[in-house]
Amino acid sequence: MRETHAVYSTGTKTLRALAWIFILILSIMMVFPVIYIIFGSFKANAELLVGGSNILPKKFIVSNYTQAWEQANFARYTLNSVILAVGVMVISLLTSTMTGYVFSRKDFPFKKILYGTFIAFMFINVGSVSLRPLFELAVKIKMNTSLLSVIFISAGGGQATYIFLAKGFVDSLPRELDEAATIDGCTFFKTYYAVIAPLLKPVIATIALLSFRQGWNEYILPLVFTMTNDSMRPLTVGVNMLKNAGDGTAAWNIMFAGATIAIVPMLVVYCCFSRFFMGGMTTGAVKG
Amino acid sequence: MKRKKNKKKFNSNSISPILMLLPSTLMLIVCSIYPFIWIFRYVTYNYNGFTATYTGSANFTRMLSDKQFWGSVGTTFEYAALKLIFIIPLALFVAVLLNMKMRGSGLFRGVIFMPTIISTSISGMIFTFLFATKNGILNAYLQNLHIISQPIKWLTSPNVIMAAVTILAVWGGLGNYMLYFSTGMNGISEDCYESAKIDGANAFQTFFYVTLPMLAPVLKTVLMLAITSAFKDYEAIMVLSKGGPGNRSMVMFLYIYNVIFGSGNGSQQQIGYGALLSVVAALIVGVVTIIYLFIARKLDHITE
Repeated sequence: MRETHAVYSTGTKTLRALAWIFILILSIMMVFPVIYIIFGSFKANAELLVGGSNILPKKFIVSNYTQAWEQANFARYTLNSVILAVGVMVISLLTSTMTGYVFSRKDFPFKKILYGTFIAFMFINVGSVSLRPLFELAVKIKMNTSLLSVIFISAGGGQATYIFLAKGFVDSLPRELDEAATIDGCTFFKTYYAVIAPLLKPVIATIALLSFRQGWNEYILPLVFTMTNDSMRPLTVGVNMLKNAGDGTAAWNIMFAGATIAIVPMLVVYCCFSRFFMGGMTTGAVKG
Repeated sequence: MKRKKNKKKFNSNSISPILMLLPSTLMLIVCSIYPFIWIFRYVTYNYNGFTATYTGSANFTRMLSDKQFWGSVGTTFEYAALKLIFIIPLALFVAVLLNMKMRGSGLFRGVIFMPTIISTSISGMIFTFLFATKNGILNAYLQNLHIISQPIKWLTSPNVIMAAVTILAVWGGLGNYMLYFSTGMNGISEDCYESAKIDGANAFQTFFYVTLPMLAPVLKTVLMLAITSAFKDYEAIMVLSKGGPGNRSMVMFLYIYNVIFGSGNGSQQQIGYGALLSVVAALIVGVVTIIYLFIARKLDHITE
């Protein structure tokens, strides 16, 4: 090797430049569909139906949004999506931190089996069939017309990952904290909410984001539960229903607007907290 | 007296943990265990949502001769293979490049990860617009660049639908695997690269003799995750092509969904049969995972 004392030789420099260009092109391709849909949502329907290779609209119009909001019931869908996402987030946060704390600190009979069952159902996946009994159960207790049942099932389906994350985090906190709290007269529960919970902030942020995303993006579950109930549909289902409804080609502008409403809030959250998203992904799956 | 005191202490210390475990355990029982048992109850029944009749092994014999189901199993394998062949090497390559600490790599990483936060149902829908034959922007670009003269029927031609499905799968999943690999690479000590450099290794040698072997444990886990999740994917395909044209992109979990909930065009719900197919599908995924783990262990012995 010549010129090893130089930081980068000419060969390496070209290689790095090529790598940079490759990554740039790839990034553009990754972001392109999102850009296209967002700008497309400001195009007139006629322009969308003609097609062409322009990303920017000839003329920016917002009537797609007002139309979607007023005629296509998107105000309702958006509200439902927010309720669903926040509901799943709140339930997931409460149950996963409590459960993670108990699993980390307490020994009780069948603990291993119970924890194993939680984790096992992270991997056992029988697909959509499990929604059928849950739907029938919801009908039986007259909860099928309420978003609460969807929230409950979504939270239940995703909880294993969050419990796993929370338990791992509590494991890393020194046990002396609990002992000190006990000596000071804290009960088991008070130790949890006064001492441990405030220390869980990083993992709480991760769980909050992951579960919010899960609730916001849920599709098959609300689809099954809202087959006959339009007013309960979240955005994911509502937008896709438009696509399936009769002459799907006609309402491209409303679908573009709907898809934009469905992705932009997540994108905003992601831009603010991307490191928590990525952190959560990796602590949950691969470690070291 | 002493015994009584002990008992009281036992109570106060054990009731609150039980109460704290209760919500999640209840959700586990209702949302996971109950449906799981329910499925086995109806495996031998003919059940349309209203009446259930015991039919013995009829479902089973029907499954054995259900060409559409086994076709969908084949499609699932095809889909999983296509997805993995493209996504894993590409993700690894991107992770290696981003690991070179080039200008803006943080931003690039964020952009490449971004599609994973979008609902698969919405991204499926976005891609139906991109892939549209007449007014889709992808065909418009390809025609402008004179790569094709006739618009490609991405979603209506059985020859290219799997390409469209694979493109969507790679777009939606690349960020995840890129991130797994990046995290794995962070664990590789800088000294290894340093000594490779001193020994005069070029970029390719560094990758094949340092990065790849050091990444082997991560690669093994990621491959397992990738395989199991590829077999379970059906949401995006459901939106993108509904399994069409002519069942060309019908993966098994989508087929099962249609059997259980009806495909929308007035077809009967066949829940008992769907339950059996679900069990079989879950077993197929399980067997594939076990085979993979077996092979991975064998490979370990060879490399050691």
